[in-house]
Amino acid sequence: MSEISAVGRVQGRLTRDRRRTLVAFGFAVIVFAVGAFLHRGFASWGSVNAIVEVASFVGFVAAGQTLVILVGGIDLSVPWVLNAAGILFAVFSLGHSGRAVPAVLLALGLGFAIGAVNGFCVAYLAVPAVVMTLAMNGIMEGVTLGLTKGLTCTRCNSYAPRVLQDFVHKDLLGVPADLILWFGVVLLVTVVLSYTTFGRKVYATGNNPTAAYLSGMNVRLVTTSLYALSGMFAALAGIVLVSYSGQPTLGMGDPFLFQSIAAAVIGGISILGGRGNYLGTVAGAVSLVALISLLGAENMPDYGRSIVYGVAILVVLVLFGREERV
Amino acid sequence: MSVQGATVRAPVAQKQRRLRHGFAQNVPSILALTILVALTALYVGLFHGQLHRYPGVFEWTSIVNTAVPTVLVAVGQSIVVVTRGIDLSLGGIIDVSNSLAAVHMHPGLGSMAEWTVVVLLFGMLCGAVNGVLVAYARLQPILVTLATLAILQGLAIKILPEPGGAIPSGYSNALANTGGPWSVLYVLAIAGLWLALRRTATGVRIFAIGNDEYGARAHGIPVKRVKTIAYTLAGMLAAASGLFLAATTTAGDPAAGDVYILTSIAAVVLGGVSFLGGRGSALGSIAGALTLTILTNVLFFAGIDPLYQSFFQGLFLLVAVLLGSALGHVLRRRA
Amino acid sequence: MDAIGPAIEAIDVTRSFGGVRALTAGNLTAHYGEVHALVGENGAGKSTLIKVLGGVVKPESGVVRLDGEDVTDSIAPTGRAHRVGMVFQELTLFPWMTVAENLLVGSEPRGPVRLIQRRKLASLAEEALARYDVHGIDPRALAGSLSLAQRQIVEITGAFMRDPRILFLDEPTSALAEHDVAWLFGLVRKLRDAGGAILFTSHRWNEVASLADRITILRNGAHVATRERFDEDEAVTLMTGRTIDRMYPDKPAPADDAEVVLEAEELRDDVLDGVSFQLRRGEILGVGGLAGQGQPELFMSLFGARRAAHGRIAVGGRRVRLRSPADAIRKGLAIALVPEDRKTEGLMLPMSVRDNLTFAVLEKVARGGVIRPWREKATVAKAVERLQIKTRDAALQAVGTLSGGNQQKVLIGRWLLTQPDVLLLFDITRGVDVGTKHDIYRLIVELAEEGKALLYYSSETEEIAQLCHRVLVMREGRIVAELDRNADAEAIVAASVKAPNA
Repeated sequence: MSEISAVGRVQGRLTRDRRRTLVAFGFAVIVFAVGAFLHRGFASWGSVNAIVEVASFVGFVAAGQTLVILVGGIDLSVPWVLNAAGILFAVFSLGHSGRAVPAVLLALGLGFAIGAVNGFCVAYLAVPAVVMTLAMNGIMEGVTLGLTKGLTCTRCNSYAPRVLQDFVHKDLLGVPADLILWFGVVLLVTVVLSYTTFGRKVYATGNNPTAAYLSGMNVRLVTTSLYALSGMFAALAGIVLVSYSGQPTLGMGDPFLFQSIAAAVIGGISILGGRGNYLGTVAGAVSLVALISLLGAENMPDYGRSIVYGVAILVVLVLFGREERV
Repeated sequence: MSVQGATVRAPVAQKQRRLRHGFAQNVPSILALTILVALTALYVGLFHGQLHRYPGVFEWTSIVNTAVPTVLVAVGQSIVVVTRGIDLSLGGIIDVSNSLAAVHMHPGLGSMAEWTVVVLLFGMLCGAVNGVLVAYARLQPILVTLATLAILQGLAIKILPEPGGAIPSGYSNALANTGGPWSVLYVLAIAGLWLALRRTATGVRIFAIGNDEYGARAHGIPVKRVKTIAYTLAGMLAAASGLFLAATTTAGDPAAGDVYILTSIAAVVLGGVSFLGGRGSALGSIAGALTLTILTNVLFFAGIDPLYQSFFQGLFLLVAVLLGSALGHVLRRRA
Repeated sequence: MDAIGPAIEAIDVTRSFGGVRALTAGNLTAHYGEVHALVGENGAGKSTLIKVLGGVVKPESGVVRLDGEDVTDSIAPTGRAHRVGMVFQELTLFPWMTVAENLLVGSEPRGPVRLIQRRKLASLAEEALARYDVHGIDPRALAGSLSLAQRQIVEITGAFMRDPRILFLDEPTSALAEHDVAWLFGLVRKLRDAGGAILFTSHRWNEVASLADRITILRNGAHVATRERFDEDEAVTLMTGRTIDRMYPDKPAPADDAEVVLEAEELRDDVLDGVSFQLRRGEILGVGGLAGQGQPELFMSLFGARRAAHGRIAVGGRRVRLRSPADAIRKGLAIALVPEDRKTEGLMLPMSVRDNLTFAVLEKVARGGVIRPWREKATVAKAVERLQIKTRDAALQAVGTLSGGNQQKVLIGRWLLTQPDVLLLFDITRGVDVGTKHDIYRLIVELAEEGKALLYYSSETEEIAQLCHRVLVMREGRIVAELDRNADAEAIVAASVKAPNA
């Protein structure tokens, strides 16, 4: 009897969400192991560092995407919110280190505000999330292109402030500063989701919005704030990317739509809402970027990469993404 | 609803009731058509204001030829949306179809016919794979089609690494003749096919599934098979769209289809097809697709910087959605 | 008749849903030329058994035979080949399709090139409705625009139109008025006399007694007895597993001059039609009537989840405007409701017992938005203890894996933690096993004794009669009768179906 309950307890502790997170990390480990087998040095400290650093950009965007997917939504506006915020950041700072702080705040604020509009329309006006964020992506693309005259305006060739360019390239205690920033985001998002009333409300909304509403929760406000956060995280990714590469480019956000959703799905976030956590997404982002790097190291052409990408997602879906049978 | 015997109803009253029901049940499509007519009028007005003449054969031909690929893929998207799904891979199917045609099609009836059939079959195959993954493997449509989209985009670049290739001029003339707006016949044909589909068992089942999947199963409807058919039809229409696009541009582009992911969804939204499934008509989506094409021209003649184009498209889409839901709200309150 | 053999039979069928065992020993044999009633309490497994027989739900073990042929693994044998018809408890009409399309789904009139003829579809449907003596329903109207009763009538008509040899009717009368019930029974008898087999479920014993040739009783998912006739008391004993007078606790003394804690005056909107009442401290006020007569709307309005266009609500003698459930909770109200099923409006099933229990009192166990685990743990332990929720680990076990009864206790526990003055209990015993029901009744009486005010709706009239001090009977959004504590179930039912002006 006691043996049975001990087994039950172990199974109980390993909830579905935790199991999926472990699987996602396992997936990352396998990619690195295969990589190390094929190329000596693929799993070296420097290589892992570089891969995780690239993964951090996906990770920032995917943090917001995870939050939105947790309530059964989706944010298709991340590419141009990211792009617009990145450009605004560079153009406003004019490369002066003294203007770095207001430029960062302004860009984050832009992301937050755009996300809030998305959230408001989805939560209060009942516009389907796919339609709303798709339209917003177009709106942001048009505004960005129009206002910067296709990034040809006089101030458009501004660089990111020197101080931030230096910062993202600097190592702190042997770890790139960018990774420390990501670690902070991971800690923050995980703590908020797992140990705060807000986090509890996010999961409740994703699992059963009616029940959450009838329990006295302001479902719409929480939903709106999640979209706002998604916009802000996209903006954060834009800032870091521009600081990293020095200058913004047009279309720099485009790859992040697919990658952020893919990272969340590989990480075990259910597209139906309410299940999964950001740690899973982190593992998903690392696996995804490691896979891309491995394919690059294998001299896989572009088209092959895209195909392997899609196949990898399908495999993960078929293994873990099935809806429950009625 | 008045309680009265079915046998004592006068024929005139019956006709009125039919009209009333017909109107009430088609409000979204009627709204879509109204928007199309209003926007067309605006286009004609702006055109006249700028050029002091009315749009002629050349203008209408160009508009119709540009619109046909959107119309085709929008109808495909509508079929999937009616089942409560979504298909993001339609853009990828257009990419591949477009590239295949540009690389392989040679002048000569044989080659043109052969590759038309091959491309259409390819589209159906892609759709069928999507459908099987959604229906039989019970995966979420948005994720499945996002993944197949990536695969198709890769495939398109493999087939045609750079924009280029050539489409035989005979093919272009047959599909997208520049001498007159003959392509409007294709639009009418696809509308007719939709109306026919609506009247087949498959059409009814597609709608039944979108209304209530569980109920459909209880009625003995083979839900999985019908869903697969819906995605297959969508794939075929996307392939046709890719062929048309190749004919219009007389060349291929492995990324040509990407914009149609958003455009097809936008057309469906404008057409009033509900994303909750089971409701709406592809006729509305056709109107939506035409509206989007006219909108581009309106923006041009309104003197708006082309860079702002996607801004206005996004805004237009949003306003249309809000307008539709506001109208639905008002009608429900009055009913 | 016997020579043909049974029409359909289930042998030792089992099935569970998300950890809840709905059916443990489903046994039933229905013959041609017979009306077979399937009775049992809510949650006894009637609907599940019918769905298994109909092939809509696959059994986990056991055998289903149709005309002697093993059809256990074949899905939905509802096609015309088998000529099996079904009317489900939860309606399966397609809301955005017309009545005609719904009636003729799968057998639409075809013209040349096999296309469906719309006009003929409507006229065929019109003829069919007339043939089955249904009036006042336009075949061109969308099914979703009909009233609940009309939809049920369309569903029944559709099933009979398919000319079935075997017909399953799961709670076909739940939304029907008396004369519509008589209409249905006429159709059923005609089909039986023509050699058909009919299997039906009903909550109303008088319907079962008058219509059924044989009766099968289920309890807790298992077959109990099958006979031609049961004495009503005996049937109830078999269904509940205990005698009725031990099922309900004694009613506590009614509080005549107790303080009025909840008062509604002239609530009126598109469903409610001038609802007024007072609810006192320590009182259990029942809300009765047939299903769908405005009871859910009343509960939702009182909880701020639905805005009553007109009318006044006062809590504790003070007039309040309830804009949202959050508002209502602040004013001391709580609601536990199970409309249709817990899954849709009550619990977050994949989340843990802990998460579900403390959800309405999160602010009390947190400081500055951060949950204090020890505090939450103590709160959860208290609720688990008081309600005797059986869970192996409240912090980790998903509510969805608990039994139906325990799930319900979690829902009630959530509200008790908010320490409400008024509890709105909507059909909380639906789908709950007998033991838990007993616990819940005791809890309700205890709460009343503690001075809480309770508004109580149940789809089982007997419960209302046994538990409540007063009963409001609703019909078409109005309170049509107020009965005192001595009213029995029959009196409540009589008041529910009495013609408006008779």
